[in-house]
Amino acid sequence: MNMLILVWRNSFRKKVRFWLTCISVMVAFFLFTTLSGVNHALTANVSNSNQYRLMTSHKISLTQSLPINYKQKIAALPGVKQVSYASWFGGFYQNEKNQLPVTAVDHETYFDLFDEYYISPEQLTQWKNTRTGIVIGQSLADKYGWEIGDKVPLSSSIWMNKSASFNWSFTVSAIYQTKGQSGANNKVFFQHAYFDKGRAYAGNSMSWLSTEITGKANVEDVIVAIDKLFIHTNSPTRTTTEQVFIKERAQQFVDMAMVINLVVIAVFFTLLLIVCNTMIQTIRERNNESAMMKALGFSSLSLIQGIYLESLLLLGLGALAGSLLAYLLITAVGQNFNDFLPGISIAPSHYLTVFALVNIAAAFCSAVPALAIKRLVISETLGGQA
Amino acid sequence: MKNNHNITLNNINKSYQKGNNTVVVHDNFNLTIESGEFVALMGPSGLGKSTLLHLMGGLDQPTQGEVIIGTQRIDNLKQAQLTQWRAENIGFVFQSHHLLPVLSAQGNVELPLALTPLNKKQRQEHASYALELVGMSERANHYPKELSGGQEQRVAIARAIVSDPHILLCDEPTGNLDRKTADEILALLTQLNRDFGKTIVMVTHDKKAADYASRVINLETYIFEPKNIEVGERL
Repeated sequence: MNMLILVWRNSFRKKVRFWLTCISVMVAFFLFTTLSGVNHALTANVSNSNQYRLMTSHKISLTQSLPINYKQKIAALPGVKQVSYASWFGGFYQNEKNQLPVTAVDHETYFDLFDEYYISPEQLTQWKNTRTGIVIGQSLADKYGWEIGDKVPLSSSIWMNKSASFNWSFTVSAIYQTKGQSGANNKVFFQHAYFDKGRAYAGNSMSWLSTEITGKANVEDVIVAIDKLFIHTNSPTRTTTEQVFIKERAQQFVDMAMVINLVVIAVFFTLLLIVCNTMIQTIRERNNESAMMKALGFSSLSLIQGIYLESLLLLGLGALAGSLLAYLLITAVGQNFNDFLPGISIAPSHYLTVFALVNIAAAFCSAVPALAIKRLVISETLGGQA
Repeated sequence: MKNNHNITLNNINKSYQKGNNTVVVHDNFNLTIESGEFVALMGPSGLGKSTLLHLMGGLDQPTQGEVIIGTQRIDNLKQAQLTQWRAENIGFVFQSHHLLPVLSAQGNVELPLALTPLNKKQRQEHASYALELVGMSERANHYPKELSGGQEQRVAIARAIVSDPHILLCDEPTGNLDRKTADEILALLTQLNRDFGKTIVMVTHDKKAADYASRVINLETYIFEPKNIEVGERL
């Protein structure tokens, strides 16, 4: 008879209670792990961003357009190395379920600024020379089986073309790779010139400008200079570093994360009470057995170890299932909604946190039963009629 | 060897606090049970029969006085020492068998051996032998809920003797059983006493059960005798 076998069998003695408690543990760790993945995305994007790149958008909102000639004006400012621009296309393939992060970019400059996208020089040249060309990420090419030269129709839910259609024709001209963020390999870029000539309205305008400053330039000075340039125009600007830009875009999620954080804390607290209650009930039901085992010569410590291992098993199984489900969800979100939360993933250190939490919770939940075992008086529990 | 496991209670005082009142169960109680005896403790409820059994087994400690088993005084041992001592020297059989429902008969009997250095095979062998002694080999793989009351008590006895203790302390071992089954259990205890030299102390209300013992101590008369002179009487 092995004590571990006894722990295992005792755990499953009340199967319904065990699994219901296990499911509540699973839900708590599912929430915790999912939130961790979202937080990772928010923080990772901010830290991965380039501190020498500035983002300029309309002062009112990112949805307001800016004139394309702003590019030349900014490029002429001291401390500016190069400028590019882009517009959000918001496309999908075949149906709206297949949303794609499609962006129209200034084909002459964009990939000089954003050198984290690796494109072979031949393909880049080919793309620049193909008016309807698109640059796609490797994972997107793999997902749809697209190859160089393929004709790909994409639709936009925002932009109508001059044929009064929301369907646009493109040709795959280049495939890029990235290092680091695996989820960033599903973007689509096409020439802003094609976008300008093709769309039915709002020509010669773009959504935002990206400015790379020289290493010696003072970031604050350049930001002030850019915004000052357009302060009295119809389209005043707001310039920030790329870090701040991403952080602000993520702000809406951060607030949500705070709410979820509070929910998770509440869930964990409730969970502790539930598991504690389960373990207290468990030990109360086994009072006579515990007394008998003590009479047989089992020490209080060995019985407490048993109850700790039972808590650990209950919490561990729940945490494992919850974390696994969250991992699958985060992976699926990472693959399908990367544009909204790029870099969403679970940091390996999170699993260490889960491991530590499970052990701490098991110790916490075993505390009251341990006290009961310690105080158990064999003669009173098993006692005859004196 | 035989004299090494005498049970000696010297000037035992035992009292409980019940609210503001102190309930005296034993006052200057003396008793000696020799190694190899089969003693039945009888008497009405409330005279402290089970308390005596608990004191002999180290489950409880006297308010004053000495409990000596063989050459070992146990009333002043610490809990951890008592636990260890119990595992090595005492087997308990209670009115309720208190078998673990998640373990088979074999598993329940093996349980005390988890505290010994025996390996798995040895533990299994010892448990099988104990079950054979109590006539439960056929039911070794049955769980408590699949056994009758008498069979459960047999398994409890097997569990009590599996680590080969010198002393068996039985608290109303047949209290929950019908006459026929009770007789079978008592015959088994007699066999363990006669063939294996186990010292058995049994608390019982049942006069027929007491007939199986080699000495009967009626606490009602015994307590009030001067100095509790060793005069066990047949009822």
